[in-house]
Amino acid sequence: MSFVRLTASDLTKAPSGRDARRRRSDQLMRSVMFATAAAAVIPLIGLITFIAIHGVPFLSSQFILNSPLDKEPGISNAIIGSLQLTIASIIVAAPVGIAGGVYLNEFASPRVSSAGELLIDVMLGTPSILAGLFAFLVVVPALGFSGYAAIVALSVLMIPVVMRTTQEVIRLVPAGVREASLALGIPVWKTTLFVTCRTAASGLLTGIVLAISRGLGETAPLLLTAKGTNDTEILNFGSTMNAMPIVIYRYAYAADKLHIGQAWATALVLLVIALVLNVAVRFRTINSRVA
Amino acid sequence: MQHPEVELKSGVTTPKVVPHVAAVASDSGTAGTTGDLVLQNLEVFYGSFRAVNNVSLQIEPRSVTALIGPSGCGKSTLLRSINRMHETIPNASVRGTVTLDGVDLYGAHVDPVRVRRVIGMVFQKPNPFPTMSIFGNVASGLRLAGISTKSEIAGIVEDSLKKAALWSEVKDKLDEPGTSLSGGQQQRLCIARAIAVRPEVILMDEPCSALDPIATLKIEELIRDLRTEYTIVIVTHNMQQASRVSDSTAFFSMGEDRGGYLVESGRTPQIFTAPTQQLTEDYVAGRFG
Repeated sequence: MSFVRLTASDLTKAPSGRDARRRRSDQLMRSVMFATAAAAVIPLIGLITFIAIHGVPFLSSQFILNSPLDKEPGISNAIIGSLQLTIASIIVAAPVGIAGGVYLNEFASPRVSSAGELLIDVMLGTPSILAGLFAFLVVVPALGFSGYAAIVALSVLMIPVVMRTTQEVIRLVPAGVREASLALGIPVWKTTLFVTCRTAASGLLTGIVLAISRGLGETAPLLLTAKGTNDTEILNFGSTMNAMPIVIYRYAYAADKLHIGQAWATALVLLVIALVLNVAVRFRTINSRVA
Repeated sequence: MQHPEVELKSGVTTPKVVPHVAAVASDSGTAGTTGDLVLQNLEVFYGSFRAVNNVSLQIEPRSVTALIGPSGCGKSTLLRSINRMHETIPNASVRGTVTLDGVDLYGAHVDPVRVRRVIGMVFQKPNPFPTMSIFGNVASGLRLAGISTKSEIAGIVEDSLKKAALWSEVKDKLDEPGTSLSGGQQQRLCIARAIAVRPEVILMDEPCSALDPIATLKIEELIRDLRTEYTIVIVTHNMQQASRVSDSTAFFSMGEDRGGYLVESGRTPQIFTAPTQQLTEDYVAGRFG
């Protein structure tokens, strides 16, 4: 194909030949890419709509505020249980994960650092039921089915999430910021805590929220640990506890329409909580983004 | 204020005996100190690579000394070994001595963290702490070194910003982030931050290379003002800058082993108009480098 030299007068004519083909293939590729993006988003929107359609009819203030033992049964004990277990787990996981991630980035030798990263990758890829099994075999024999066992299982799943995000955001802190601090005569540990981590604070928060989201939705480890109950347990981690994923799992298997509907409604509540949490943090981090 | 009687001595072959007084090192900033900096047979390494070769240099207190020379001749490395920042790099090491007012900064009982409080540093790229306000940036050294009360801090911050010629521009927006300032203002903020911990010596590593000409002139003016109170050592690639701001100049070059060495040093006018070495003459005339 020879090169066609264009002159200004050609620009008003409709493109032909190679230029026309280029236009068509450009159009085609745009459509294909739009379709693939849509293919990724549509099932998600479909799922949310589906959950909403099935869940909303069973949603009421009693459903959220009442316990399963009340006359009009609700899932308040599961909501309270989920929040307690998630918060308690993140209280364990956040300091460990952040400290671990900071250590791997700032202090560890290259060999330890890459070994640590490999370990995090493996832990991130571990099916959550294995974390449940671990707590089931190690904690449950000692403390029984309990909130404590669930916290162990959930923390094991949350720590690598926090650690990985911590590593990624700490890496983004410019070297000049650390140097400036050290050159001021600020000790290394204060530089790490009050300068490096502070600079990366919004990113660290994102890691914590990712971990919370993960913890909120975990089902398998809870079945093997907290087990589920109709009682409302407040800060009684030694006892079995209820959680929203457990309710969804158990109710969805029920034979009656009411329980199946309530499983949908519970799923909707869980979805909304996770969504609110993520959106709230998204807004916070956008407003305080590091320049 | 100049001290014309104190001359830079190049190539000191017989180092004078420097008493090692660790007790004084842990109590720097006492009255009577002058910011008298002496490098003796200093060799600076990255692993086994010797980046700086056997440098001996007496730096005139309360004046500006410029370190000039072609890229890669170890000027910045030398500068960073003065306040012991060099050793923050893995496998980096230093041989020889650096003394400040007679105290060996590499002495056995000297804490590098404390050395950096006595010898401040300003970097090539302005690096204010991104999550701190203008006030917070200047106060950071005081707060994190835990050496001042709240009321004291406000006074020192104002004083430091005034000394850095930034106060009038920022006094109404001290709560805004340090990164909201222009590049030149950020660099003056970094200078204010360094001054706030009241060092004796300020090291500047090409402080104007990321700035426009007008901001550069302001920083140079500031450097001229600051030398009455601080011993200033500045690394620069810009020979005009060296001739404008410095009282003394030390010219470095790279040896055949790629290690930097001191060619000669002296009063700035002498180095620029009547250097004793051919290499210096070629460099300041712009024939290489």
